[in-house]
Amino acid sequence: MASTRSPIRRRFLIGLPALVILLASCADGRLDATDPKGVNAEAIWSVNRLSGWMATVVGIFVAVAVVFVVVKFRERDTDDPDEVPEQIHGNKKAELTWTLIPVGMLVFLAVATLPKVFDLNEEGAGRTIKVEGQQWWWQFSYDIDDDGEYDDIITANEIVIPVGEEVNLEIHSNDVIHSFWVPQLNGKRDAVPGRVHPWKISSTEPGIYYGECTEFCGLSHANMQIRAVVLEQSDFDEWVRRQLEPAPLAASGDAAEGAALFAANCVTCHVINNGDPAYRVAAENGAVLQSGVAPNLTHLMSRTSFAGALFEMYDDDGNLNVADLREWIRNAPALKPANAENQQGMPSFEEKLNEEDLDNLVTFLQTLGNPPILPD
Amino acid sequence: MALTEERPEVLELESGDTTPDVGGFGRPSHGTGWKAWVFTVDHKKIGIMYGAVAMFWFFCGGLEALLVRAQLFTPNGTVLTAEQYNQLFTMHAVTMVFLVIMPLAAAFANYIVPLQIGARDVAFPRMNALGLWIFVAAGIFINLSWFVGGAPDGGWFAYAPNTGVAFSPGHGMDFYAIGLQIAGIASLIGSINLTVTILNMRAPGMTLMRMPVFTWMILVVQFLLVFSLPVITVALVLLSFDRTFDANFFNVSMGADPLLWQHLFWIFGHPEVYILILPSFGIVSETLPVFSRKPLFGYGVIVISGAAIGFMGWGVWAHHMFVSGMGPVSVAAFSATTMFIAVPTGVKILNWIATMWGGRLRFTVPMMFSISLVSMFTIGGLSGVMHSVAAGDTQQTDTYFIVAHFHYVLFGGALMGLFAGMYYWWPKAFGYKLNETLGRWHFWLVLIGFNMTFGPMHILGLQGMARRHSRYGPEDGFDFWNAVATIGAFIILIAMLVMAVNVVRSWTGYRKGRVPQEGADPWDGRTLEWAIPSPTPEHNFDYIPVVTDVDDFWHKKYQRDESGKLRKVADGNDIAQKGDQHPHLPSPSYWPVVLAAGLPLIGLGLIYNLWITGFGLVLLVGAMYGWSLEPATDPDAGHGDGHDDHHEPDGDDDGSSEVAAETEEAPVG
Repeated sequence: MASTRSPIRRRFLIGLPALVILLASCADGRLDATDPKGVNAEAIWSVNRLSGWMATVVGIFVAVAVVFVVVKFRERDTDDPDEVPEQIHGNKKAELTWTLIPVGMLVFLAVATLPKVFDLNEEGAGRTIKVEGQQWWWQFSYDIDDDGEYDDIITANEIVIPVGEEVNLEIHSNDVIHSFWVPQLNGKRDAVPGRVHPWKISSTEPGIYYGECTEFCGLSHANMQIRAVVLEQSDFDEWVRRQLEPAPLAASGDAAEGAALFAANCVTCHVINNGDPAYRVAAENGAVLQSGVAPNLTHLMSRTSFAGALFEMYDDDGNLNVADLREWIRNAPALKPANAENQQGMPSFEEKLNEEDLDNLVTFLQTLGNPPILPD
Repeated sequence: MALTEERPEVLELESGDTTPDVGGFGRPSHGTGWKAWVFTVDHKKIGIMYGAVAMFWFFCGGLEALLVRAQLFTPNGTVLTAEQYNQLFTMHAVTMVFLVIMPLAAAFANYIVPLQIGARDVAFPRMNALGLWIFVAAGIFINLSWFVGGAPDGGWFAYAPNTGVAFSPGHGMDFYAIGLQIAGIASLIGSINLTVTILNMRAPGMTLMRMPVFTWMILVVQFLLVFSLPVITVALVLLSFDRTFDANFFNVSMGADPLLWQHLFWIFGHPEVYILILPSFGIVSETLPVFSRKPLFGYGVIVISGAAIGFMGWGVWAHHMFVSGMGPVSVAAFSATTMFIAVPTGVKILNWIATMWGGRLRFTVPMMFSISLVSMFTIGGLSGVMHSVAAGDTQQTDTYFIVAHFHYVLFGGALMGLFAGMYYWWPKAFGYKLNETLGRWHFWLVLIGFNMTFGPMHILGLQGMARRHSRYGPEDGFDFWNAVATIGAFIILIAMLVMAVNVVRSWTGYRKGRVPQEGADPWDGRTLEWAIPSPTPEHNFDYIPVVTDVDDFWHKKYQRDESGKLRKVADGNDIAQKGDQHPHLPSPSYWPVVLAAGLPLIGLGLIYNLWITGFGLVLLVGAMYGWSLEPATDPDAGHGDGHDDHHEPDGDDDGSSEVAAETEEAPVG
C-alpha cells in the first residue's frame, strides 16, 4: 500500500519556531515583547532568543530526521514483499546518547537562564509606585512627600515614569486576580487580592508603551488596558508639579452646572481632590460604593485616554474626544461590557442625564487638569 | 473478573437462594436493540459508546471553538458579546478536556486493553458501565447550564476569587464545580477498574514487561487519575461550599489566599496534561511498529520514560504560576523540573523515529496520523521547553504563544494519536476499514487546518496578543494572523465533516457489501487483539492465549528459516482464533444507568432546591441497594454455574488453555 503522495511538504512545518521568530521580529504591534525598550524586557528577550534558537535547532534536526526516514524507508513497488526488515529492538548506546545530549542542553539552558529569575525579582534603584488592579481599570498612586502613604498623586490607567529609572511597583488587587503587563518594559506580574507583589518597570527611551491585563478577570477582561508614559526627567518633574495642584472649583456657567451634576451623580464612585467635601462621599461602614472605587478624576485632562485606556482622550490635532466621552457618560456599558447591577463597572446614566446635562458635565470635566505632557 | 467468582457464593450463604428478590425488577437479558447497549456491561460496547459520546461532544466543543474564532476573525468582532465569549472559551476547554480527549482515551482503553492482555472483560464490568453512564450524566449536566441561564464563564481553570458568588453571581460556575465532580467520579471508577484489570487479568506469560505499550501507557494514566482526581475534587468541593453554603475557603476578606486554588488546580491540572497525552503516545507506539514492520525501538526505554513522565508530572505544576507572585525560589525550582521533564519526552520522539528507521513504511491513514503526532507534538514540546524558562515565560504566559503551545500538544499530539487509533482499530471494532481515500482527505485537511489555525498563534503571542480577551483593537496589529487562524479553524471543520462522511459511507457500504469484511488481522498486527476475529466476538477469546514475548502474535507469524532469514510463516487471519466458543459472560444490569441518573439530580438540587437532591439520593441509594443484591452473573442466564471461566473455557474445549494455545497458536512452518 505505497502512498503516491509525497509527505515531504508537511515536514517543513516543523521549522515553524524559526519562521515564527523571523516573522515576529519584523512585526510592529504596540504590545510587542520582541521589541524591548527596558533593561528587564531586554534581558527577557535575550533569554527567549536563546531558548527559541535552541528549540529551532532541535526542531530542524527532528524534522530532517523524520523527512529522511519517511522518504528513505517508505515502501516502494519494487520492494520484495517477502523481505522482512531487520527486527532491531533497540540500541543501548544510541538511546543513552540521545538521553544525555538533551540533558546536557537543558543543563546549559538552566544554568544560563535561572539566574535571570532572581535578577527580575531584585528591587530596582528607583522610586516605588503603588499599582492597584480592579474590575476593569488600573490605579497608580505616588508617594511624593516620602511619608510612606501613596496618596499624593492618584491616577488611573496611565503610569507616568521618568526615563532610565528602574521604578518599583507594589502590585495590589481590590477584587479578583489581574495581571500587570507592559510587554516592552517587562514581563507580567499578577495582582492578587490579599497579597502585595513587588515588580519593576523601566524604559531606556521616552515614549508611550501599551499594556493589558493578562489574567482573566471577568466580563471586561479585554478592556482593561495600561499605558506607561515615559518622560524625560524634566518633563516628569513638571508632570509631578502639575499633578500636585488641586482641581479648581468651577465658579460659574456650564461648568458649574456640570460640577453640580457631578456632585449629585458621580462622587458616589469617583473622586476629585479640590478641597470641597461635597466631592467626596464618606466611606461608610460596609458600603459597597464609595468615592475611590472608580478612577480619581482630579487631573482627567492630563491623561491620553479614558475608560480603562480604551478610548483616546484627544485626536491627533489635540482636540478633546468629546463624542466618545459623552457617549461614555451616557451609557458606559454599551461601550465596555460591565455588570453595574453587581457593582462591576460604570452604570448607564441614560435615564438620569439629558443632553444638556451631558454637555455641562463634559464642560466641567474639561476644567480638570492641564493637557497631558507627551514624550518627545 | 476476579470478583464475579466470589459474589454468588456469598449470596448463596446468606440467603440460601441464588435468585435474590430485588422487588419488581427483573434482570435485563443479553438482548438486542437499544437495551443491548444501555444495560450492557460488555467492555467493547462501553468503549464504543464512550467513543460515540465523546465524538458528539467533540463537535459541540468544536462549534464553540469556531464561534470564538469567528469573533476574533476581525478586530472588535461583533459576533459574540463579551459574556458569550467568556462562556464559550470556558466551555470549549471544559468540553475538550473532560468530555472529549479523556473519554476518547477511555474508549480505547476500554475496548483495546482487555484484548491486548488477553482478557474476556474488565475486572468490574458493572462498574465499567457505571463509569460510562456517570460520564454521560456529567456531560449532560454541565451543558444543561446553557439552557438555564448561562454556561460557566470563569475559565476552565476557574481561578478564585473570580469564580466566587460575588464576582460570578450566575449559576454557571455551580454547574462547572458540580459537573466536574460528577465527571471525576466517572474517571475514578474507570481508573480503579482498569488498574485492577491490567494488574490482575493479563494472560498467562504476559509479564509487565511484555505488555503492549498502549496498555502500559493506559496503566500509567490510570495511576495519574487515581492520584490527581482527588486533588481537583477537594478544590471543587471547597468552591462548591463557598458558592452554595457561603463558606470562606477563597474569600480574601476572611483571610483566604487565592493562590490555594491555583496550587490545588494545577496539582491536578498538570498530571492531567499527561493523562491527555500518554494514551496517544501509547497508540502511536502500536501503530508505528506495525506500519514500519519493525518492533518498537527501545521498548524498555519507552515504557520507562512513559512511567518517568508520570512521576515527574507531579513535580512541575507551579510552572503554570510563574507570574503568580509565589517567589523566585519556587519559580526557579519549578523551572528546572519543567526543563527536565522534556528529557523522557524527547527520548520517546527519537525512539519512534528510530522505530521507523530501516523499516518498510506503509502510509496508511493511521500511519500518517501517527507520523504527524511525532512531528506536531515535537513543535509543542519545544515551545514547552521555551515556557519552562521562567524568566522568558513572564512574557509568554497568558498570551497566544501558550495557546499555540498547548494546541500543538493536545491537538497535534493527543488528538492526532486518537485519530490514528480510530482508523487503526476500526476494523477490529466493526469488521471493516474506514475508507482510505476519504481518510487521506481527512488527514491532509486536518493537518493543514491545524497548522493554519495554531501556527499563527505563535506569532500572535509574540506580538503580545493576550488570551481570553473577547476583542482586540485594530491598532494592535493582530488582524492578519487572526484571520488566517479563523480560516484554518473552518478547514478543520471541513476535515471533520469529511471524517463524518467517511464513517457513514463506510458503514452503509459495509452493510450493502461494497466495503469488504476484514479478517482478524487486517494490518499484519503484532499484539493479541489481532489474534481474534473482527469484529471482536462478544467473549473476545475462545481460549486465553499464552504469551511468551513482547509482540507475541507477530512471533507466531514470522520466524527464521534454516538460513537464519526472517520469513512470514503464517497469515494472521488463518492462525487467529475462530470466535466460535460461547463461554459464560457477566450479565447485563439495570443498576449502573439508574445509579448514574441519580448524580445530576443531586447536583441540580444543590443548585436549585434540596428536594431534588433528596430524589436523586433516593435513586442513588436505591440503585446501590439493588446492585449489591444482584449477583454479577445472572444465575438464570445461559450456562449458569456462577463460576467464571478465566482459565477454563466452557463447553467442549476441556483441555487446559495452555495446551490449546500451544497446539493451535504456534504452527511452525
